[in-house]
Amino acid sequence: MNVFRASSIQGCPLAKVILTVDDSASIRQMVKFTLCDAGYSVIEASDGKDALGKLNCPVNMVITDLNMPNLDGIGLIRSLRANPAFKGIPIVMLTTESQETRKQEGKQAGATGWIVKPFTTQQLLSVVKRLIG
Amino acid sequence: MIDHRQAFQDEARELLVELESALLELDEKREDSEIVGRAFRALHTIKGSGAMFGFEDIARFAHHLESAFDKLRKGQLTATTDLINLALGAADQIKKMLGAAGGQGTADPNRSEAILTELHFLIGAPSGEMPPLPSASQPPPAVPAGPPREWRIGFRPAPDVLLNGTNPVRLLAELRELGQLRVEADTSAIPSLADIDPERCYLAWKMVLSTTADPSAIRDVFIFVENECELTIEPTDPSAPAPKPPTPAAESRPAPVAPTTSSIRVSAEKLDQLVNLVGELVTVQARLGEVAARRDDPEVLSVAEEVERLTSALRENSMSIRMLPLRPTFERFRRLVHDLGVDLNKQVELTMDGADTELDKTVIDQLNDPLVHIIRNSMDHGIETEEARRASGKPPVATIHLSAQHAGANVLIRVSDDGRGLNVDAVRAKAVEQGLIHPNAQLSEAEIVSLICAPGFSTAKKVSDVSGRGVGMDVVRRNVEGLRGTLEVQSKPGAGVTVTLRLPLTLAIIDGLLVRVADAHFILPLANSLECVELTAGDIQEAHGNRLANVRGRLVPYIRLGEYFHMETKRPDREQVMVVETEHGCYGLAVDQVLGDHQTVIKNLGRLYRNVSLVSGATILGNGTVALIIDPHRVVQNAIRSTAEKTRRQE
Repeated sequence: MNVFRASSIQGCPLAKVILTVDDSASIRQMVKFTLCDAGYSVIEASDGKDALGKLNCPVNMVITDLNMPNLDGIGLIRSLRANPAFKGIPIVMLTTESQETRKQEGKQAGATGWIVKPFTTQQLLSVVKRLIG
Repeated sequence: MIDHRQAFQDEARELLVELESALLELDEKREDSEIVGRAFRALHTIKGSGAMFGFEDIARFAHHLESAFDKLRKGQLTATTDLINLALGAADQIKKMLGAAGGQGTADPNRSEAILTELHFLIGAPSGEMPPLPSASQPPPAVPAGPPREWRIGFRPAPDVLLNGTNPVRLLAELRELGQLRVEADTSAIPSLADIDPERCYLAWKMVLSTTADPSAIRDVFIFVENECELTIEPTDPSAPAPKPPTPAAESRPAPVAPTTSSIRVSAEKLDQLVNLVGELVTVQARLGEVAARRDDPEVLSVAEEVERLTSALRENSMSIRMLPLRPTFERFRRLVHDLGVDLNKQVELTMDGADTELDKTVIDQLNDPLVHIIRNSMDHGIETEEARRASGKPPVATIHLSAQHAGANVLIRVSDDGRGLNVDAVRAKAVEQGLIHPNAQLSEAEIVSLICAPGFSTAKKVSDVSGRGVGMDVVRRNVEGLRGTLEVQSKPGAGVTVTLRLPLTLAIIDGLLVRVADAHFILPLANSLECVELTAGDIQEAHGNRLANVRGRLVPYIRLGEYFHMETKRPDREQVMVVETEHGCYGLAVDQVLGDHQTVIKNLGRLYRNVSLVSGATILGNGTVALIIDPHRVVQNAIRSTAEKTRRQE
């Protein structure tokens, strides 16, 4: 088994798949770059609606922004939790507002955790590692 | 990072175009919340991503504008031409700042300040009231070196924690990365199988973490579930400073009191009473089970099952209370061996192993006399005088070895000496003299050896003080059999004698297998039963009339209990054969029907039936009838003997 190739090829069944949802291309790029480097496979979506359309394969984790056009993060979390296939997967929200209200809203919708923007690559990795290893 | 900065600059320029077009559209449709939302999001992203990639000045600037558009979005502010023009100017300023960061042109910081001042004037809020911009938080400081401290962590996640995507196991794994972790799962909240919802978490954990990390680092592991769990973190050493005050949800509980081993003395009589009562209870439980099965009422059945489970636990518990180690009994023999050695002028050393083997108190109490007798015999008859030992090249100090070990539901106690062994010819001659055997009888050595257990047998030339008072090994044998045990003597000429006592672990209640033969029920001790096999008519035919069962390629001879007990039974199409383990190897016992396991309270058969050796007792079944408890060893032994006799007669 060639582990090197396994982790670098996108969508390879051996790597854990993470869906990153953000309307900011640079954030998506940064998340993808960091996670791919750590051996995860990453799917990108630009908003909640886009994300739901790309969930035709199983994912191990979702990292989503909250403020997005079309379908925002809270709405995405709610529709994911309503789907039996994504009932128990970790969902992390990216928030610029570290205010409790927004965080609570997300948690009530079913988010597992949150990362407050701006964050460092280490912080991102430690959260991903905490939730899916 | 450089890569990301470039990506952000490209993205920000696109967003500024989007912002501009949104602002221009807004100028025409002042009330369109959709357009306000677009502008807000553009600024929001510029702010958020800007802070991510080190454009703090742009992020701070966009932050103020975003706040203004947030108010607009929430209807706390109305879009005015002034505001829109100001925002357009701000967009230009951001463009300049981006250029400056990219090394193209410069941005005037005073212009930024001017825009912000005007903005605050327009939205009517002094700049001081603007929400502060969060700055990129630094990664937590490296684990400070220092002596590790122990923390006691209690973690009980809310039952629906799994539904939020949290895997508690991962949290424990993360804790483990902080230091040495001992984890104990608290399973007390797990409901009965029928009530278990597989999507809920019923477990809690108690942990002790030895780490150099700060308590806040420990708390940080649980940050996502902080409000969905009971969490306590406290130092195991109470004198150490307490960690950060616990959150309201995490009331610290007092540390559990260290367990101390304590015991109470209870009179043996009370224990006997307890076991008797448990015995009665087991009998009643069997009746309840029978009634429940007949009623076929699920409610009653479930109660009966519960009662069965409880009685079984209660039985095991009360039996274990009566278990005592053999050591005190064994140790008492040291004095005996010493005193006898002085009397007989023989030097004997007593060695022992397995003295911690536990046995039912009743068994131990009744074991003393037989063991004393066996040891006396060994000292007196088995072990030679010092001179004789020297002459035969043995060490002058003789050894008697006492050992005990578990074997299934039995305990084997062995007494071996390194004496001269039994004189087979003398035993035989004596047996003939006492009329125990016919002078022409053909006996194997083992059979002759077993003769010493025959009633009234003694080979000692003269009656000594130590042994040979007319009570011989037959008394020992009867005592052991009274305990439902067996006695076996092995002798190696010149090398010594080993007496093996096989005793049941307990006398009162055993696990048995209830079987039916004709219209009678029997119990086979479960400890001896290996498996149950079914022989089809074809299998029986293949054996050509021999009572042999092919158990996975191994031939196991079997005995048909119905025939053996002269009961009228039709040979069934399928033979149910219980394979039992005996001292003579594996044998099968064919029965008509195997009914299931049965907690068996052993009742003695009474004096009249003392000579019945094939049955070790009786028990009362749920319907009040009696089932005999079969002793598989004896049945097999008897069958072997009678077959051997038959063969001999035929010869």
